[in-house]
Amino acid sequence: MSTNKGGTVRRIISGCALLVALAAIAGAAHAAAGSSRGNVTLTLWHNYGTGGNAVATTKLVAAFEKQNPSIKINVVSQPGGNYFQLLQAAWIARTAPDISVQWTGLFDTKYEKQLLNLKGYFSAAELSKINGAKWASSNFNPAQGLLVMPLENQFYMGFYNKSLFKKAGITSVPTNWSELFAACSKLKAKGITPIVYGADPQAIGPNPYPYYDLSYIAAGLWSPAQLKGLYTGRIPWTSPAVVKQVSTWASMPKKGCTNSDVLTKTNILGAFMKGQAAMIIDGNWDTATLSKAMGSNVAPFLPPFTSKPQKGVVQYSGDGFAVSKQSSHQKEAVQFLKFLMTPTAQHIIAGAGLIPDIVGAKATNPLANQMLAFARSGKVPYPMIDNVIQGDVVTAGTKQLDAALGGNISAASALKSMKQTHDALPADQRGPVYH
Amino acid sequence: VSVQEVPAAIPTARRRPGRSALAARRRRAGILFTLPVAALVGGLLLIPIGQTFYYSFTNWDGFTSQWIGFAAYRHLFQNPEFVTVLENNAVMVLAIPVAIALPLGVAFLLNTHLRGWRFFRSVFFLPTAVSWVVIAFVARRFFDPDKQGILTSVLRHMGLGFWHPNLLAHEHSALIAVMITFVWSVFGTNMIIFLAGMSTIDQEIYDAAKVDGAGSFVVMVKITFPLLKRFVQFAFVVSLITAFSALFSLIIVMTNGGPGYGSTTLEFFIYEQAFTENNFGVGATAGVILFLFVFVISMVQLRVLRSDD
Repeated sequence: MSTNKGGTVRRIISGCALLVALAAIAGAAHAAAGSSRGNVTLTLWHNYGTGGNAVATTKLVAAFEKQNPSIKINVVSQPGGNYFQLLQAAWIARTAPDISVQWTGLFDTKYEKQLLNLKGYFSAAELSKINGAKWASSNFNPAQGLLVMPLENQFYMGFYNKSLFKKAGITSVPTNWSELFAACSKLKAKGITPIVYGADPQAIGPNPYPYYDLSYIAAGLWSPAQLKGLYTGRIPWTSPAVVKQVSTWASMPKKGCTNSDVLTKTNILGAFMKGQAAMIIDGNWDTATLSKAMGSNVAPFLPPFTSKPQKGVVQYSGDGFAVSKQSSHQKEAVQFLKFLMTPTAQHIIAGAGLIPDIVGAKATNPLANQMLAFARSGKVPYPMIDNVIQGDVVTAGTKQLDAALGGNISAASALKSMKQTHDALPADQRGPVYH
Repeated sequence: VSVQEVPAAIPTARRRPGRSALAARRRRAGILFTLPVAALVGGLLLIPIGQTFYYSFTNWDGFTSQWIGFAAYRHLFQNPEFVTVLENNAVMVLAIPVAIALPLGVAFLLNTHLRGWRFFRSVFFLPTAVSWVVIAFVARRFFDPDKQGILTSVLRHMGLGFWHPNLLAHEHSALIAVMITFVWSVFGTNMIIFLAGMSTIDQEIYDAAKVDGAGSFVVMVKITFPLLKRFVQFAFVVSLITAFSALFSLIIVMTNGGPGYGSTTLEFFIYEQAFTENNFGVGATAGVILFLFVFVISMVQLRVLRSDD
């Protein structure tokens, strides 16, 4: 009996050893075949789902591979909800992809230790052609090295329904608070909801995203360079100027400028497209949907959340591609990033409904070109404020500013909470260098 | 005692059953068979728990960590938002007695085998099979103040259309909406636990009580409830753990923790700190506090409902 048992065990061990040996030989043969061809295979992770950015990425990769037959890129679509957690885990496990989609601003400086600094790869002339180079660079200074090659130009933007404005007798779009409230009165008199607020169409969560609005409030208060004061704390969130503007913003529901259920309304984009509201504050990613549903009846406008006429436009390269320091094919990965600057790539990006981020590039969507025209008409480009202030403050602000808009707390309380969160951050996260 | 007598005693001792060769082999085999499970439990549970305790004293950001000791706990308790979060968890505890009492009452009714009890048992248990995300979407629709909101619609049809309880939109009521949804979703599980418990009670006890002239209410209070004490304890602990550590999907879909911090519980706070802000150290600190919270309440509850048997 014991002899049989021993025999079985020996057979199992021998079998396992044979399998391991076969696997090792197969792996070695595969590696040898790959290297003998001189091919390089890169991995690219994105969190774009199936939208225009995903289409652009797939087409860009195909075009790049066609131009560079020895380089193959495996595109991996990761879930958007925990994309950065997966990426972080991959970096820790040293299995990170060669190329990954990154958000810009503080989102990429946060991972600066993991991302390849592209200083030696992009010349000053090349950097000057990239609109959003500043916000995609180390310490927001292109001279210190680009971290992310932006894919597209994004806008936080207001959209209005032309026929509803006409019906209410509004002849020009509002450019400041007083004009906005006057427009709201006219729209209300005609039974039209002026601005629709509710669950952000981009998110699964049920809340409005207050940073579209806060970005324009900031544009009305400071220059783009002065925004650093919010990061360092030199401009406290509780400063009287901020409190005054945010209080005015939070008073909109009480003044009848919005729907009454600002915190719980869902499908606000649908409501706007159906003509149930005259205005919506959103982003350029919905331009294709809006154009398709409303044709020429929709137009962009600069959210007038300011006492003086709005001088800024929130135009920002929100996302792009970065190379991991762990990549063993950094040269080839950077080659893909540089390919994004070529006319072929710009054509693909525009064709996917996005706005290319290269100076002078045009979009295919008429609404997108109207947005680009704001900057050409002298409006100052501002970054998305949630990309240039600390993530902890963004999270606290999302909760508290929403509560203020919903009338649960005062704007001053919301801003006080943001200041407390800011003050509790470690000193190096609110110092002179962006981290 | 002669010198020769001492060695004679040793073989006697060696003959004890516990020291036999067979027992030793069995013990070795037992240890061997236990090793895989011990390795799994140790590797996947004990070590991570130990690491959580360790990281709770650091400022770990996912890549690097620095030991900051009790400063981690001090910073957390100095954060006013964290205090709000703790208060929210304390309020959540109030939902547990409701999550126990309602299914207990219904289980008692079903146990009397009233007409259609099998049907109702299935209907009440049904929500247990539904995912938290789906429950959350349904609940959001239920509390929606719009005309299509289920609660609004029900109130309108009852002639109470003037009343618009917009629970999700207010800082102090959003958590109530979450608690109501939580009670509804654990109702089926707790009801089945109590029904299972009632089926273990000897029918002769009920018969004897009836002979003694006890009515349904007296039977429920004097016989059923005392004999179900262990099941109530079990349901309490399970409901508590669910309320504190399994409502993430419910909260993110229904309220996203708001308005303000109105419905942010410790569990949600941990997620936000660790996975949104990369403050894994803070997340670990809050995790340890959550663990202690559940542990203390469970111990108090076990003490209160301590059974003599």
